[in-house]
Amino acid sequence: MKSPFCSLSFSLSFGIQDDHRLSASELETKYGTSISEGLSSAKAAQVLARDGPNALTPPKATPEIVKFLKQMIGGFSILLWIGAVFSWISFGIQLAQGTVSFIDQLYLGVVLALVVILTGIFAYYQEAKSTNIMASFSKMIPQQALVIRDGEKKELPADQLVVGDIVEIKGGDRIPADIRLIFAQGCKVDNSSLTGESEPQSRSCDFTHENPLETKNIAFYSTTCVEGTATGIVINTGDRTIIGRIASLTSGVGNEKTPIAIEIEHFVYLVAGVAISIGVLFFIISVSMRYKILDSIIFLIGIIVANVPEGLLATVTVSLSLTAKRMAKKNCLVKNLEAVETLGSTSVICSDKTGTLTQNRMTVAHLWFDNQIYSADTSEDQTTQPFDQSSPSWTALSKIVTLCNRAEFRPGQENLPIMKRVVVGDASETALLKFAEVILGDVMNIRAQNKKVAEIPFNSTNKFQLSIHKTDDPNDERFLLVMKGAPERILERCSTIMINGKEEPLDSEKAEAFQTAYMELGGMGERVLGFCHLYLPENEFPDTYSFDTDSMNFPTSNLCFVGLLSMIDPPRSTVPDAVSKCRSAGIKVIMVTGDHPITAKAIAKSVGIISATSETVEDIAKRLNIPVEQVNWREATAAVVNGMELKDMSSQQLDEILCNHSEIVFARTSPQQKLIIVEGCQRQGAVVAVTGDGVNDSPALKKADIGIAMGIAGSDAAKNAADMVLLDDNFASIVTGVEEGRLIFDNLKKTIAYTLTKNIAELCPFLIYIIASIPLPIGTITILFIDLGTDIIPSVALAYEKAESDIMNRRPRNKRKDRLVNEQLAIYSYLQIGIMQSVGAFVTYFTVYAEQGFLPSTLLGVRVNWENNAINDFEDSYGQEWTKYQRTYLQWTGYTAFFVSITIQQVADLIIRKTRRNSIFQQGNKVIWVGIFSQIGIALILTYGLGHVTALNFTPLRFQYWFVAVPFAILIWVYDEVRKLFIRRYPGNHLHPIFLSKENITNFPISSLLLQAGGTRTCIIKTHPHHCLLPPYGDLLPLLTKPLLLECPVCAISSMGSPHDGVKEFHDYEKK
Amino acid sequence: MATLKEKKTCSERMEDFRRFVWNPETKLFMGRTLINWVWISLYYLAFYVVMSGIFALSIYCLMRTVNPYEPDYQDHLKSPGVTLRPDVYGSRGLQIYYNISDNKTWDGLVTTLQTFLTAYTPAAQHLNINCTNDTYFFQDTFDGPNKTKLSCKFTSDMLQNCSGITDPTFGFPEGKPCFIIKMNRIINFLPGNGTAPRVNCTYVGDESSLLEVDYYPVNGTFNLHYFPYYGKKAQPSYSNPLVAVKFLNITRNVEHRILCKVIGAGIISDNVYDPYEGRTLLKNT
Repeated sequence: MKSPFCSLSFSLSFGIQDDHRLSASELETKYGTSISEGLSSAKAAQVLARDGPNALTPPKATPEIVKFLKQMIGGFSILLWIGAVFSWISFGIQLAQGTVSFIDQLYLGVVLALVVILTGIFAYYQEAKSTNIMASFSKMIPQQALVIRDGEKKELPADQLVVGDIVEIKGGDRIPADIRLIFAQGCKVDNSSLTGESEPQSRSCDFTHENPLETKNIAFYSTTCVEGTATGIVINTGDRTIIGRIASLTSGVGNEKTPIAIEIEHFVYLVAGVAISIGVLFFIISVSMRYKILDSIIFLIGIIVANVPEGLLATVTVSLSLTAKRMAKKNCLVKNLEAVETLGSTSVICSDKTGTLTQNRMTVAHLWFDNQIYSADTSEDQTTQPFDQSSPSWTALSKIVTLCNRAEFRPGQENLPIMKRVVVGDASETALLKFAEVILGDVMNIRAQNKKVAEIPFNSTNKFQLSIHKTDDPNDERFLLVMKGAPERILERCSTIMINGKEEPLDSEKAEAFQTAYMELGGMGERVLGFCHLYLPENEFPDTYSFDTDSMNFPTSNLCFVGLLSMIDPPRSTVPDAVSKCRSAGIKVIMVTGDHPITAKAIAKSVGIISATSETVEDIAKRLNIPVEQVNWREATAAVVNGMELKDMSSQQLDEILCNHSEIVFARTSPQQKLIIVEGCQRQGAVVAVTGDGVNDSPALKKADIGIAMGIAGSDAAKNAADMVLLDDNFASIVTGVEEGRLIFDNLKKTIAYTLTKNIAELCPFLIYIIASIPLPIGTITILFIDLGTDIIPSVALAYEKAESDIMNRRPRNKRKDRLVNEQLAIYSYLQIGIMQSVGAFVTYFTVYAEQGFLPSTLLGVRVNWENNAINDFEDSYGQEWTKYQRTYLQWTGYTAFFVSITIQQVADLIIRKTRRNSIFQQGNKVIWVGIFSQIGIALILTYGLGHVTALNFTPLRFQYWFVAVPFAILIWVYDEVRKLFIRRYPGNHLHPIFLSKENITNFPISSLLLQAGGTRTCIIKTHPHHCLLPPYGDLLPLLTKPLLLECPVCAISSMGSPHDGVKEFHDYEKK
Repeated sequence: MATLKEKKTCSERMEDFRRFVWNPETKLFMGRTLINWVWISLYYLAFYVVMSGIFALSIYCLMRTVNPYEPDYQDHLKSPGVTLRPDVYGSRGLQIYYNISDNKTWDGLVTTLQTFLTAYTPAAQHLNINCTNDTYFFQDTFDGPNKTKLSCKFTSDMLQNCSGITDPTFGFPEGKPCFIIKMNRIINFLPGNGTAPRVNCTYVGDESSLLEVDYYPVNGTFNLHYFPYYGKKAQPSYSNPLVAVKFLNITRNVEHRILCKVIGAGIISDNVYDPYEGRTLLKNT
């Protein structure tokens, strides 16, 4: 991970020309331009043709045709291709032998190929659709730039800019290219997307540093101009900009497979393994049973087709895209369908602070006047402020806040809520302006009534801002001098302090009180400003007095201190809830920010990333009053790691921190360090989600299992590198995404279990056909109609299934253990439910044959004669004689009957798969009815509507045969309800493997458990400082009321054990 | 995700596998304790015994409900199939070729016919009664021995020249071969609606030349007293009535397509999918 950045600084130092050293006129000659006239259109067009448009080349996409072909040969397609090729080969052999009666083989091969191609096209279309959403999103905001060309100012699309263009920028614009400034007025740029520094940096036309990245006269592409105006010459465009070069480095970080892709691959291997081994086994059996090789090949095809769930991958794609749609509604835009599930298996979220956890705007949080700290409302939609505003000190303070402020609302926003209005001015002034507007009403009017006569803006040497106003009291001829600034500097200039509206001398006791308040507010990570004022004596400063701000012909000391205001970028109101959800979901939230550790920690505490009770090493040291070095750092659950420390850390040290602290905040980190943190988490085996917005975040976003870019604040490079875009930049949206991701994983499990079950009922006919030589119970084409016809809509319907109550109270799934398809699921589906289905279908089959004249005993061993075209007087059990065609027609009736009974039993299968542990009576889902009705409807259409189309091998079936399998369907349902009852009743029983219940352990946070236990002090088996072990579905909860448990000591289990351990220890404990 | 991809050497994999099969520390065999395996096996044993029981029970119930004398439905037997003896099939149906002067080429055909007709010797037919009425032979009661119904006798001598009695070579050496046409049995099927169905053979596609045929019995009819058929259990000794056709004027060394239809009400002979329903097509040289 080192390499991109080592080489980055290297290439950059060579990359940028020495443009920052040149004078304006030298630049004019170098680029053949004129500062006043700009380039000529002709010259611009010429350069544009040479350099190409000013846009970043999007990362090289896989060619569409490759994507398409991948869909064609991926997954099960290859098996089906093999089947199709075998069909054609056997047809070819038969053709060569001159027996054309086997045209069926050609037909089957074509159908198989069609199935592959159609499902491939479908999957490709789904994939393309979700990519398109993303593409349209990035096109939403075409950027414009103000350019001087041919001596005129023009608005041009930013991608038309060329080297040598003269562009004008103003506050709020995005810098359209790398620009050497030639004129700047109060210009400040936000370089956070490039360097990660959140403080705006001033820009001028002076050459201040040898390093082009440090010098003040260059503004970089994709950064934003926060305030002021500037004019500059474009010196680099497109991929040659600094950002462009970084972006091209990101493509070096490889794309890893998503967890769901791994799961599906695992599933394909499993099913293909079963298909091939059964196929080969029966090929050998049929050859040794002296079947012809050609026949054996045909059996092989049948077995493969029966085993491969052709429709499943399409269903998975549909389910994922349904979830992606649902997530898009909740502001998570998913670029890559598979990322939907990745989010669900996330175990660590590395989140940015600014904008993601916080509202990304300074807001007044606390006030101090009259020796008292007041809290202000910091929520997103404040309309009033609740603190006590009766004191005359507040009146004085509010006047200073209102008047000593240069920020203004942009006009024309009177109808917007105050918090949403756009303000021209820096962050703190904006905060103060909005604060005053909320409390006092029309600030601009107040300012107009208190006319400003002189002003000294804030600068870094003075560290204060001052203005002098006429008062709005017509009887008061005095001028009012108001001042705000760094509290200690303000205090220095004061000799009195206002207490309850009265000026009192500022003695050491009062200064002490000020210091305490200042420290307290600063300790909360807030930016504190001091406010003071002075009424200038009327006699010295009459109405006509002319104030001169340069000579400062007015007093700036011995002022009256009024109060302190502190500001913070407050957390979004939804975040604390979301963080606690993550916690109960077993997801570790790590904050990574460029901010000061104190601010970071304060925000972390207020959103719950650091919980109220946990301490850092420093906290423990402070509490015990011992040096930090003496603290046993294992006792500290929380850690605030400074970027400086991180720089000197080895990866082992980082691992130790990540491993031993459950609550971690990384402060003062650069975006580059984010990559190191992500890699550290991945070394622990975690599935890491990372949020980011800057260009420099893109390697981390790429490296993460799921990169989440910010939709509002995010740069294009970040969005390109990410798998997901958060449209509202809100952390809480990630948690909703996690919930959806987990749900879809659970639901896909259901879908797969549902789909796999009938494989046995499709496979058994072939096996029995080979072994017992009965007429073929179900044809290959008919199987395709089940897999791609009746079963598709029900499997998709399962994706609409709601969560089984505890979805966010579980630990994230363990990548190695909680597979999408595990042996138990396969065995339960194949060896239990599948067998029941086969029995039901065979009973229908035998019923149909018996009632038409062939009793089961007659059917055994008849295969060779039955299929012989030369026998046209084949005798049945009643002595009747059948021609070949009559037999074939009966065989198709058998297919139809088998098909119908599988469909009927799949309805039962659908009902039992709806829930994995809950009873069907405990959970409803209306979409499932759509599934059931579609299933039966399609079967009816195939049987009665298309029953006369010979090629489809369906016949209009006598209606009563639909009901033969119903008792078996009911049996399946009852059996599964009993199973569910069993696992709910007896969690941890060793028969569970049979019953498919080795599930994720429910992992409640202690707090919620206490809540459920009625708030009594209870101890459960404790496995972790904040989590404890409960058997699935809280069968323990009723037990919690037992007095025995109420006062039990903490019984810790050494490791995160299996449910068995947990339950066992619990039972052991209960016995004692 | 990179963390998952730890490359293992082959010996490590083998070791892992051995550990999986038998882990001496945890005493797990294939990931479970032995007692666990016993439980699981017992469970599956019981499960499959029960399932087999359910299956057997279902089949038993099925057998109890089906009628032993006639099937519940005859959905696919609306009309009887017609077959020919000797039956030599090529890739496109019946194809019979032989060389008059080489008796090896027709010995097989003659043997087939002779074997086929052994079921129609008087000895084989001794259980059946002689019927003389030319009407359907309805039997509402079980008049035969052992609760069976009576069947009418059909003996090979009824085929006269094609019976193999007078001419054991069935006319093959003379180029005037005999073929025997049989209509498939269908329970309770009443062909012809009161008039006896008869066989009619013609050339196909070549209307100009007329095929001269001798039909045995006379007119090539199936006598109505052989119908209806009451099924194997009711009429164990029933044998299908036959019609023999002797082609008299077949041009040698030319391929002919001859279609023999059974004509009679209720006998469908124009089902495009089924070439043997009510008809049989013969290629002959």
